[in-house]
Amino acid sequence: MTAEPPSPSLKDLEARLGRLRERAGLEKEGKEERGGAEATPASAMGLAFRAGVELAAGLAVGGALGWFLDGWLGTRPFLMLLFFALGAAAGMLNVYRLVRAMNAPDGKTD
Amino acid sequence: MAEAHNPLEQFQIKRLVPMDVAGVDVSFTNSALWMVIAIALITALMLYGMRRQALVPGRVQSAAEMAYEFVANMLEDNVGHGGKPYFPFIFSLFMFILFANLLGMVPYSFTTTSHIVVTFAFAIVVFIGVTIIGFALHGMHYLRLFVPSGVPWPFLFLLVPIELLSYLIRPVSLSVRLFANMLAGHTMLKVFAGFVISLGALLGWAPLAFVAALTGLEILIAFLQAYVFAVLSCIYLNDAVHMHH
Repeated sequence: MTAEPPSPSLKDLEARLGRLRERAGLEKEGKEERGGAEATPASAMGLAFRAGVELAAGLAVGGALGWFLDGWLGTRPFLMLLFFALGAAAGMLNVYRLVRAMNAPDGKTD
Repeated sequence: MAEAHNPLEQFQIKRLVPMDVAGVDVSFTNSALWMVIAIALITALMLYGMRRQALVPGRVQSAAEMAYEFVANMLEDNVGHGGKPYFPFIFSLFMFILFANLLGMVPYSFTTTSHIVVTFAFAIVVFIGVTIIGFALHGMHYLRLFVPSGVPWPFLFLLVPIELLSYLIRPVSLSVRLFANMLAGHTMLKVFAGFVISLGALLGWAPLAFVAALTGLEILIAFLQAYVFAVLSCIYLNDAVHMHH
């Protein structure tokens, strides 16, 4: 399939869905309630777990990448140490983005 | 019963139909069996549910429609209109993980998603797919994702590697999250179920109650982790489609 056929049919679908929704009187009302659903205890736990894994994965990926680069470039301990620190920073950056997205009104940052 | 004392035994891969193609072990395992069951159930739900397309849906049709609406809303909220073409992928991903997680709660079944190979395969497909979409839509501009704006240039030597790493972390954290949740939950269930037997009829009731509560929690986590996996895929997709931050 080329890139051409899907887009008109998707646009068709969009227009038809829009018309049907308008006729049924349910155009976009779920937006507000969905924002509030994020604060349930279940997803708070999910969020905590997400943040924790993000930090650990940062260290693991940074360390592993440094290890492989070391083996490749023959600089055994140094790059691993450097990338371990960079990985920790990247993990914190991801957690920061996560929390910022949570505080933004509709989950979108900037 | 006697062979199931080790709480980790439930995660063992067993070859059901040994197969060997050119020296590569491609046996049909218990993990593969439960994947096939998950796919069969999803297909059955969608086909059987939508066979009549009644205006007032029955129970099965409601379930099928709810699943569709849920994923469609998730995609709309996180990616917007640009996300429509990717709906089939996200929907398949969500349904498969959800069913694999839930089927894992059936006694004597096998939890496919408790193996990091499986979850990492999903995550790496999402990761590579998102990267390809990003480059296809934005060309070399997609690399701007790794260059934070409004930063004095000496800091870029530090920040670009960090941004790059934070991008590379995605598949790891995505897969580890799902796998660790499933592994930990199911191990804990087995351990506490073991306590019920060893404490006997007198004291065994306390862990039994705990196992009952834990089962409920595990079902909740099955939903939650499928949702989190799909939502994060949507968020990564959004980065690739819209490229803001």
